[in-house]
Amino acid sequence: MRLAFEERGADYLLAIKEAHGQAAPVLLRKGDDAGTMRFDVPYQMTMILTNISRFIKEGRIAVVARRCDERAIAELVKRDLLNHDNLVVIGLACSEEQIRECRCTDPCPSSADIGHCAAPAKEDQAASSIQSMPLPDRLDYWIDQFRKCNKCFGCTLNCPVCFCDDCLLEEKTFTPEKGIPPGLAFHLIRAVHLADKCVECGECERSCPSDIPLLALRKMVNQDMKRMFNYTSGDPERRSPLLTTLEGDPMEDDGDAC
Amino acid sequence: MLRIGVFVCHCGHNIASAVDVDEVVEFARKLPGVVYAGQNLYSCSQEGLGSIKKSIEDNDLNRVVVAACTPRTHEPLFRRACEQAGINKYLFEFVNIREHCSWIHAKEPEAATGKAKKLVAMGVAKASLLEPQEEGESAVIPRAVVIGAGISGLAAAASLLDQGIETHIIESKNCVGGLLREVAVIGPEDIDSRNLINSLEKRLTSSPKAHLHLNSRVKEVKGFVGNFEVTIAKGDEDITVQAGAIIVATGTREFQPAGEYGFDEYPAVITQLELERRLAKSDFAASRMAIINCAGSRQPGREYCSRVCCNASLKNALRILDKNPDAQVTILHRDIMSCGAAAEELYRRASERGVRFVRYGLEKRPQVHAKENGVVLEAFDETLDETIDLDLDLLILATPLVPPEDSVETGKHLKVPRDKYGFFLEAHVKLRPVEFATDGVFVCGSARWPVSARECIWQGQAAAAKASIPISEGKVRIEAITAEVDPDRCAACGNCVLACPYEAIEIVEHLDTMAAKVNEAQCKGCGTCVAACHNDAIQQKGFSSRQLGAMIDALIRTATEGTQ
Amino acid sequence: MSEFNPNILAFCCNWCSYAGADLAGVNRLQMPPNVNVVRVMCSASVKPEYVFKAISQGIDGVLVLGCHIGDCHYLTGNHRTAKRIPLTAKILEKVGIDPRRVQLDWVSAAEGEKFQQVVTQFVDDIRSLGPNPMKEVRF
Repeated sequence: MRLAFEERGADYLLAIKEAHGQAAPVLLRKGDDAGTMRFDVPYQMTMILTNISRFIKEGRIAVVARRCDERAIAELVKRDLLNHDNLVVIGLACSEEQIRECRCTDPCPSSADIGHCAAPAKEDQAASSIQSMPLPDRLDYWIDQFRKCNKCFGCTLNCPVCFCDDCLLEEKTFTPEKGIPPGLAFHLIRAVHLADKCVECGECERSCPSDIPLLALRKMVNQDMKRMFNYTSGDPERRSPLLTTLEGDPMEDDGDAC
Repeated sequence: MLRIGVFVCHCGHNIASAVDVDEVVEFARKLPGVVYAGQNLYSCSQEGLGSIKKSIEDNDLNRVVVAACTPRTHEPLFRRACEQAGINKYLFEFVNIREHCSWIHAKEPEAATGKAKKLVAMGVAKASLLEPQEEGESAVIPRAVVIGAGISGLAAAASLLDQGIETHIIESKNCVGGLLREVAVIGPEDIDSRNLINSLEKRLTSSPKAHLHLNSRVKEVKGFVGNFEVTIAKGDEDITVQAGAIIVATGTREFQPAGEYGFDEYPAVITQLELERRLAKSDFAASRMAIINCAGSRQPGREYCSRVCCNASLKNALRILDKNPDAQVTILHRDIMSCGAAAEELYRRASERGVRFVRYGLEKRPQVHAKENGVVLEAFDETLDETIDLDLDLLILATPLVPPEDSVETGKHLKVPRDKYGFFLEAHVKLRPVEFATDGVFVCGSARWPVSARECIWQGQAAAAKASIPISEGKVRIEAITAEVDPDRCAACGNCVLACPYEAIEIVEHLDTMAAKVNEAQCKGCGTCVAACHNDAIQQKGFSSRQLGAMIDALIRTATEGTQ
Repeated sequence: MSEFNPNILAFCCNWCSYAGADLAGVNRLQMPPNVNVVRVMCSASVKPEYVFKAISQGIDGVLVLGCHIGDCHYLTGNHRTAKRIPLTAKILEKVGIDPRRVQLDWVSAAEGEKFQQVVTQFVDDIRSLGPNPMKEVRF
């Protein structure tokens, strides 16, 4: 997709290329050989973008971004961790298969430059079945899941909106249970940290070697954020309601909130 | 190496009656880091403080935990003792086992002792992570605001002006003097109140540093000690005054006893202030009168004694007799509270001159019946144990003083508390009687509690003396509870910048990257940023997440391991 | 089995609710001895992390008390509390912990009686919920 350079005036293109039979991210300059480009592999472009933008001070970078990448970029731009002016977003519509895997309800990028927008998933079966459990069963369910956690930090390291270099979850103040698994607080703290920025890319769940349904938990918390504050992460126009005053962001009257 | 000393206070019986102090001391001795645990009868007494200082030196302590009352009143005292004994005052931790334990679990000594142990364990856990801190300073605007130009406010303002302090006085009415204007003579010494008001007013009008705002109200108060911004609404105009200290002297009003003792029903039933007004006129003509004391006070809903009414009744009975020596005056009372030699003399004189005293009770209250040109009062005299009927021209109700209607609003503007009757609540009834817990805001006179004109003046002067301390020192120390950033941890996400209510944080360059930075003078130490930070990169001094985390751990540990 | 005695953690802001708790003490208002107060400067400094830590490790309930909205000593500090703490409770519910174990309320410096009521009610509520199931969970 060289049109990134000509039509949109970018100086670099961040995309995924076939290399040695594998898909790998590449940063291309104008005139570089693109080889075979791959658009079928979910890849954390936002993270790579954040990393390389520290070194590329001049010039605009075009990035091939799915809808969730686009929203993750919005979250980072809001926090001044990425400069919007230096970015060119080339929208990539996800395949039906990918949508199914992510149970994605918002798969279509603002401009679908590559691929065609497929229908969004209706709802997350995993999340709704967990939601429908009575509280004690739900706790048992999650305890069983979290017991599998080996504290590899794959969920944080691969998360596009987890931007701290070192992590509070490595401190014994908050996860004092020694060793592995790290205990319930570990996962709850991650849940609240992501509440106002998770874009449901599903990377945490994909990264998890123990198959903990982390995306389902994210989706459940995001639903609460929507219900309580009418907030959806990835909206470039809205600040996190958790940081602003009540006037700046009136709270919906939620009958069963505290 | 941690060397923690724990001092558990008996506070006389206040703590020791519910909490087994010996047991708490024994428990504390075994806590990690504790090298000394002792007890004091009164830790805040000269002796108590002395023994704490001695223990610090003898045992080479480097952290001090006192388990006693509330840090809101006594923390400065113990911090000073630590400083005097040579350790940084921020290495002191207060555990509240009185207000938060012995007083509220008075009948459960075992549970109270168990809870005291938990609280001490939490305090020790926090203390082990305390670090010495340096205090910052902030300048004080050399100007004061007095709200209310009644007798208290006038006395406060006059005293401030005497010290050369520029003073703004805000009065809602169109004249000064407040409630005292309606009282001609102040007992028991028969002082002419108008003279008193005039002489204080003169001290204001003669000073170029006085600014009297009549017909004005406080519209908004912003800022903090040394640096308040008071917006005054004066008619349609808003005036903004910068001030270092604020004195609340908003006074009181007389309770109007709707529906009680025939008030509102019979014209012959009036309040004491109405009597004052009538006595001030030359044509006062009534010969048979009764005054009912405690009319509307010391009863359910308004349990307090209004303090000034007994003396006012005695004084007015004598003034009636001065005008008409043949008048018959009866005072119906529950207890005569004429405290002090001069007031007691007033009581004696009234008795000598034939004022009749009838003691009534709440069970058989006096009843008022209609009569032409007056009322009949049917009262049960508890001393005689019989019912008497009084034919009266005038029945006077000595009703209590109550807070002005706008005290709710005043309290909100200044963020200061009020008691259940609506009077303002000082920081501590004995230790800080004219101060609010909010630094730089003071209270005097009947805004606090019904007091005599004489006490209003004393309190006004006391409040002025307190208010002049930061103003004359020119600076206040900033408690070392501000936030600080670990720039190496900071991801520069800006959460703290957005959350800070004071815009005290900005993102700046740090080495080759960006990090948040707190402007210490602007930071008020709320810790809102701390909770917003996802990486624990911003911490509040004295309330770090490690310290609070250790308290939570200690609570869990004590609960699971027991408090033995 | 011995009677369930809830172990409860309360965060009180220095200016309103801690002072309200002090006032309850001064007025000798009696209440159950299960609530252990940690003083913070503002309710907005209470990190959700503290609540999660406490609940995960078996504390039966967490009470967060601040100034009434509009009365915050720090202007709008408690506006953040008003959003953070309900969300914190919601997240607990997501993993199967009763959200009623975390309660947010406003107690002013003059509301000793309200402090008594809130504490008494909360202890009652926690009693009826029973012990925190996390106490029995060993990871």
